Order: sequence, then structure tokens, then C-alpha cells
Amino acid sequence: MEDETYTDINGKAISLDCQSHSGLCREFTVSSAKVSIGKVMVYTCSVWLFAYAVFFFTQNTAVLSCAILITLVGMMFHIHFVKVDHESLLVIGSLGIQVSSSYASGRETTTFIEMSRIKDIVINEAIYMHQIIYYLCVLLKDPSEPNAVSSVVPLFQNSKPRLNCLVKVYKSCQEILSKC
Amino acid sequence: MGPDGAPGPSVPWQKVLWERQPFPDNYVDQRFLEELRRNEGIRQYRYWTVVKEAGFVGQQLSCVAIFISLWLYMEQGLLSPETLLWSSLVCALLGYGLYQSLSSQVESGCEPRTRLADLQSAAIFLSFTFGFSPVLKTLTESVSTDTVYAMSAIMLLAHLVSFPYTHPSPPGSLSLNAALFASVCLASRLPGALHTFAMLSCALMVFALWPCLLQRVRDIAPTHFTGVCLGVCVGGVGGLGLQSPGGAVLLALALGSVTLLCPLLLVRLQRHKDNIQGPWDEAEIHEDLDHGRGT
Amino acid sequence: MGQRRRSAVKAPSSPSVSAAGEVARVPHKKHKICMVSDFFYPNMGGVESHIYQLSQCLIEKGHKVVIATHAYGRRKGVRYLTNGLKVYYLPLQVMYNQSTSTTVFHSLPLLRCVFVREGITVVHAHSSFSAMAHDALFHAKTMGLNTVFTDHSLFGFADVSSVLTNKLLTVSLCDTNHIVCVSYTSKENTVLRAALNPEIVSVIPNAVDPTDFTPDPSQRQDDTITIVVISRLVYRKGTDLLGGIIPELCLKHPDLHFLIGGEGPKRIVLEEVREKYQLHDRVRLLGALEHKDVRGVLVQGHIFLNTSLTEAFCMAIVEGASCGLQVVSTRVGGIPEVLPDDLITLCEPTVRSLCAGLETVIAKQRSGSVPSPASIHAKVRNLYTWRNVAERTEKVYDRVAGEEVLPLDRRLQRLRTHCGPVAGSIFALFAVMDFLFVLLLQWLVPDRFMDMAVDATGPQGLWRQEKSRKDSAIN
Repeated sequence: MEDETYTDINGKAISLDCQSHSGLCREFTVSSAKVSIGKVMVYTCSVWLFAYAVFFFTQNTAVLSCAILITLVGMMFHIHFVKVDHESLLVIGSLGIQVSSSYASGRETTTFIEMSRIKDIVINEAIYMHQIIYYLCVLLKDPSEPNAVSSVVPLFQNSKPRLNCLVKVYKSCQEILSKC
Repeated sequence: MGPDGAPGPSVPWQKVLWERQPFPDNYVDQRFLEELRRNEGIRQYRYWTVVKEAGFVGQQLSCVAIFISLWLYMEQGLLSPETLLWSSLVCALLGYGLYQSLSSQVESGCEPRTRLADLQSAAIFLSFTFGFSPVLKTLTESVSTDTVYAMSAIMLLAHLVSFPYTHPSPPGSLSLNAALFASVCLASRLPGALHTFAMLSCALMVFALWPCLLQRVRDIAPTHFTGVCLGVCVGGVGGLGLQSPGGAVLLALALGSVTLLCPLLLVRLQRHKDNIQGPWDEAEIHEDLDHGRGT
Repeated sequence: MGQRRRSAVKAPSSPSVSAAGEVARVPHKKHKICMVSDFFYPNMGGVESHIYQLSQCLIEKGHKVVIATHAYGRRKGVRYLTNGLKVYYLPLQVMYNQSTSTTVFHSLPLLRCVFVREGITVVHAHSSFSAMAHDALFHAKTMGLNTVFTDHSLFGFADVSSVLTNKLLTVSLCDTNHIVCVSYTSKENTVLRAALNPEIVSVIPNAVDPTDFTPDPSQRQDDTITIVVISRLVYRKGTDLLGGIIPELCLKHPDLHFLIGGEGPKRIVLEEVREKYQLHDRVRLLGALEHKDVRGVLVQGHIFLNTSLTEAFCMAIVEGASCGLQVVSTRVGGIPEVLPDDLITLCEPTVRSLCAGLETVIAKQRSGSVPSPASIHAKVRNLYTWRNVAERTEKVYDRVAGEEVLPLDRRLQRLRTHCGPVAGSIFALFAVMDFLFVLLLQWLVPDRFMDMAVDATGPQGLWRQEKSRKDSAIN
């Protein structure tokens, strides 16, 4: 089962890792491709070539140092805030759901939703940029109004896996949710 | 032809929706479009009538030409402002007399304006123009002459375009204002304050009073109207011809095309008119729906 | 209108199990239809309910139907209506009167996405006022899908704006596979406006749900005669004529009452009349009515009056007759085709003619020689049904599905020969650009990376299976 290939909505390969810690506790990790060295090289080279061209005409060395600074800061910003290495969803039957995403730099953000606030997990459709995509989301409820949906938390927002991957995660989650 | 296959032709087709008819939905009957009517109530134009009507446009064009040639004479010093003022006065009085005599023929009964009121407004206008003419003279001093000429040309064109040719009395506010703006621009380029005053009074006569008189002539004496238009056109071409022969030729060509060629085109193109009417047209409410009846 | 569900699709629990049983009893080909129009719920009107009712009946017949419209306020994204009718509210900019602006191209990425992921075979656009409908037709032809267009309105030929819109309609319809009009007059109008071959234009009238409009004579006040008018209060609906009729008749008949439902800029005309003649107790203006309240107003009246100046079909008079009222209407547009002569009194669109028509009907009402509401309802109830509309529309789809969509070269040729050298060339250029844009999109977002949507309706529709499973569980 694990070797089924998954892609994200843009057709890039992603991998789904399902770990069953116990009957009521499962973890799903969606990892996207690592930062490719080639891409970094292309971006860096293009910025530097541009800077060198400007330098050639203006003879101002500040342009070159600026370019070095921009590439460095840009790269750090990218791996720290933009590039998500993997996103994981930990479902613990009696406790709740933990959603975490770890960035390429190693930074991790984690949110936890306790079971009493969770109404359901569903696959929904949304218009994203110029596409219409499926996504997995957690429906939250207000404890005071148990039948209404108070808000929606989308899952795997950065990796955006396609439907076949979502269905697999969805089914496992429903198994756990139905048990408790 | 339709998706239902061939219909049984025994029953005639009816243009109704409430009955299920044995015809396919895309059936086209002989009676299709039988209620279509073309060019209903169309007005047939005759060439010479249209030419006569177009005479008004031609004479207005000539009026502008006459005004410009007067300005040219003044600018070159060939015409003194005193002469222009006196002749304007004579023309104005003659025109006023003619206007009054023509209106006395119709005499609609409700004539609220007295001679005194006319005299009053004329006096007020003349005194104000006279008082302000030194100001108007220097008004455009800081603007370059080219700009002033271009502005006047555009404004005179706007006057010609926006002139209400069907009901020229009173002249439309846009056309009158455009013409007066142009004359202020032109008058400010003349040598003296008296020149400016003479030019503006003349402009008022040509652009504001003359169309009213002409409208009256058109209503009362249509035969004379053609003669008047022809006279004005000849006057315009002749007056301009003494100053610039090239301009006169251009004006003559423009007059020819407006009064002779355009009507010909209109009459010719009339044949291609294809106006479609039918039951789909929005009904028009012809009645006078005055909700205030029976008060 | 039914309940609206949250746009949550539960993923199929067992997609391959229950599909087989359905296929066996489908008689002929099932289509996957995308209805496109700017006008849909929550906007209210004839086009909106036409699309909704037609879609419901087509779903009932086993076709897959999705609707694409533009976002209304906060209502955007994907929604499901009754019976799994899926509606895409696409975020396109609204320009004027709920119609989107058209740049021809900007709607392509989203519409392509809808067409591809739903596996659409027929694109059905509605209303010539809707820019989105024309855009969708244009893109669908570029993508090689069959197209159908329904025209709901009449147009004149006299003024500059209609010359322009008629030219655009010519361009839009010249390579559309089939066109549907709601009345014969509308067909004549559309054929003339768009210079079409009348063979590809079908006439399928609108319909009225007879169960929504049943008579109830107990609601009437029998000591008075009530005339009901339900229309938007705008010039085209003849509100000015109504303003002339009211004082004329009210002065003659002291027991006459008017009940007017609807809202619009011409309301002021009626208010003036009411004020001037002190008719506050006899002329009631109810303001805008919701669709579900219309019947409640209709059954209070004896006579239904329609003063429209132009009308392609006029559902209102059918609704009035279905509630058992005597109908008086102007003889304009397609109205003479709608009801048989014994159910309607047709008048010229003048105050005098309408007053004369109303007088005769009032006299008949007084003498009691009018048929009973129940008998009128019985006559009308089967004239126009949505099921019939759906059947006939289905035939159009069957016919269209067998036709070929013009390939690009022949499409260009057709545009240039059919729409005049100038407009034809311009739109041929647009068609080429649209084609290149589709190629670009296919390269950027290839079809194989798009998830096919899970069907809620149609042969493999999950909602239908769920329902049938529930039904079998009950039995």
C-alpha cells in the first residue's frame, strides 16, 4: 500500500507515510520534494547575472554586495517561512488532532484541536487560484451549539495532495473518529 | 428534419404553445416570420426638399466664414471698428424691423416682450461689453497666439456641430457659448479695445440674433428662405475669397458637399434601409398618461 | 427551493460496488450537462427558476447536471442544492445588473476546470443578457464540447444598443449546435437577430409547477372584485398603463380592489395615483414578493392583470390561470401563444383597450358566468410541466450529442463568412487566441493532474445511490 504514488495538484510527486501507533492513534505525514539544488542555483545565478549586468553599466560595487545579500536573505526567508518539508496529521482517538508542519529550516508549527471541538473531518471542494481543488478539512463546532459548524480548518495546506491521497487519509481518520 | 422524425402532415401547424402538436420542436412552418414587417411608416425623402433643408447648415457654415473674414479684415486694418459698428447697427435695426414685421403676421397673442424690454437688454449688453472690452482685450495676452487660434477653431467647429438646426431659435446654449468663446479669443488678438467691442457685438449679431431671424423667415416665407441662404453662402465665399482664395475654394467645396452631395447620399442610401418590425417589438405607450386627470 | 446543504462531499465509501446495478436500466445515452448563466439563486427571476427546475427534472431522468454561475456576495465556491445539484459560484467580477464583465478570456481557466473535472459533454448556456453564458459557449467550442443556448428574452432592432448586442449574439450563436427559445415569437426574433438557420432552433416553452399554484376560492372576498397584478414595477412591464387603468376603473366600480405585488422604480407612479384619488384602502401595494408567497396573493383575487409591453413567454399569466383567476393581458410578444382563448382576454397595450377588456371580465364575474377556479386549474395544470420541458430538452441534447463540434479551421471560416468581414475577423482572432490560451492552460495544468469530480448526480451519482439504498432499507 505504501508504494502507491501520490502527487500534489501541480503534478509534483509527494509521499504519504501512515504510521499506526495503536488502534486509536495514527499519524499521517505528507512530505513534498526537498529543495532542489538546481533550482537554488538557477535563482542565485539569475540574480547575480542581473546584478553583474547592472554593475557593468553603473560601475557601482554596492550592486554586487546587495545581490549577495538579497540571495542570502531570500534563501533564508524561503526555507524558514515558505518551503514546507512535510506536514503531519496526528489523530488520537480520545484526545484530538494535532496538525504540524515543519519547514525546510527545521522550524515547526503545531496546532492542537481537542476532540470536543471536532465535529467531523470531510473532503471539501474549493476554488484555489484558477483551479478547483479538493482538500481535507476539520469541521469545528462550538460546544454550546453542537449541531452547527463554527469554523473550518483546512489540512495539508502547503502540500495540497490530490484526491486519491486525501481519500486514504480520510478513510483512516473516519475509522478512528467512528470508534470514539 | 427534426429529432422526432417526419410529422404527420394531416393537421395544420398552429402558432400556439398550449397544444402538443405532432411536429418536432424545431419544425419550421410556411408561416414562419409571416408577421414580419419591413420599413413600416418610413419617410421617403425627395432630393430637392432635402437640399432646401440642408441650406440652413450651409448658411451657418457661411456665417462662420463671414465672421472669420470680418476678423481678418479688422486684423489687417482694412476695416475700421467704427465702420463695422455703424454697419452692424444698421443691419441690426433692419433685421429687428423685419423680425417685428414678420412676427406681426403670425401674432400668436401672447407676446410678452415689448420694444422697451428689447431695447433695455440691448443697452445692457452693449454697455457691459463696452465696459469690459479692455479687460477682454488683455484676457489672453499670456496665452500664445497659436493656442488662441487653435482654441477658436475648435470652438467654432463645436458651434457648428452642436448647433440645433431643426429649432435654431433660441440657439442652443452649447453652440452659442462655443461661438462666443471663439469670438472672445479672436477679438482679443485685435489691435485695440474698440476693435474688440465691435467684434463682439458683431459676433452676437451673427451667432445669436441672425439664427432667430432666419428661423422666422423659414417659418413664414419658405421661398425667400432659400434665396436668403443662397445669398449668405455667396457672401461667405466672396468675402473669404478677397482675403484668401484657397479658403474660399475650400468653403465652396464644403458648401457643395453639405448641400448637394450629402442629400444625394441620404436619398441613395434610403434604398438600403431595412428596418424590421414584428410582434417581438416593445409596445409603445401612445396615450397621454397624465395621472392628473379629473382633479 | 429546498434546503441547501453544506458543500461537504463525503468521499465515496465504496465507489465500485453499486454502480453496476444502475447501468442496466438506462434506456439511452446519459449526458453530463453544465448549465451556465449569470443568473441563478440567490437572484430571483424567470431564468433562475427555469435553470433550477430544468436541472432537477434532468437529474430525475438520470443525467448529470452541474451549474456554473458567478459568486453572489459571500456565496462563492461549490454548493449542493436539493438532489445533489452541484453549483459552482465562480469568483468573476460582476459588472452591471448581475451580469459579469466579459474580457472573453478571463473566465476560461475556471470554466475549463469545471468542464474537465466534471467530464462535461454538453454546455447549456442561458439568457442572452448573461456575459458569462456567452463566454462559456465560446470556451466550450474551443474545447470541443457541444453547446446549447436558451434565449429567454425578446429584443428590438431599432436602436444602437440592440444593433450591437445583436451582432454579438450573431457571433456567439453562429457555431452553437442548437438554440432553444421559449415561444414561437421568441424563435422568430432570435432567428432574425442572430441570422440563424431556423432548423437548429427549437421551441420549448417554460413551465409552471402546478402543485405550487392551486386555487383556493375561500381566500376571496365575495362582496368585492379583486384584480391582482404581480410584476416588477418597471417600464417594460407596463406599470404606466396600470397607473392609467386604476383610476378609470375604480371610479366606475366602487367595489373594485387592486392587489399589486412587486417592487421597482415605477412604484412611485402607483403611489401618486393612490394619493391623488384617495384609493389607499382599495389599492394595496405589497412590495417585493418571495416566490413562495406569490400563490397566497394570487388566490385572493378574481382577475389577474398583466400589462407587459414585451414578453417572450410570461409565466405570470400561467401562474394566475393555474390559481383559477380570469386572466387579462396585453397582446404582445409571445403572450397570445401561451393560453387558449377561453382562459385569457387579450387587449391592445393601451389604457382604453385594457379597461374595456377588464370591464367585460368584471361584468362576466358579476353575472357569475365565469368557469369555476377548479375547472380553470384543471385545464391549465397539464399545459406546461417541467417534466415535459425536460423531455424535450433531452431530445435536444440527444440530437446535439451526435453533432460534431467545428474544428478550429472550419470555425474560423464560419465566423468570417457568417458574421461579416470586420466582426468575423475580430472574433476569429479571439477564437485563435482562445485556442492558444487553452493550449497554454493544458501545458500549465494538464488534464491528468486535475481530479475528476465525484459525481453527485447522473448514472454514477452518489446521492441517488444513497437515496435508493435508504429506500431499500426502508422496504
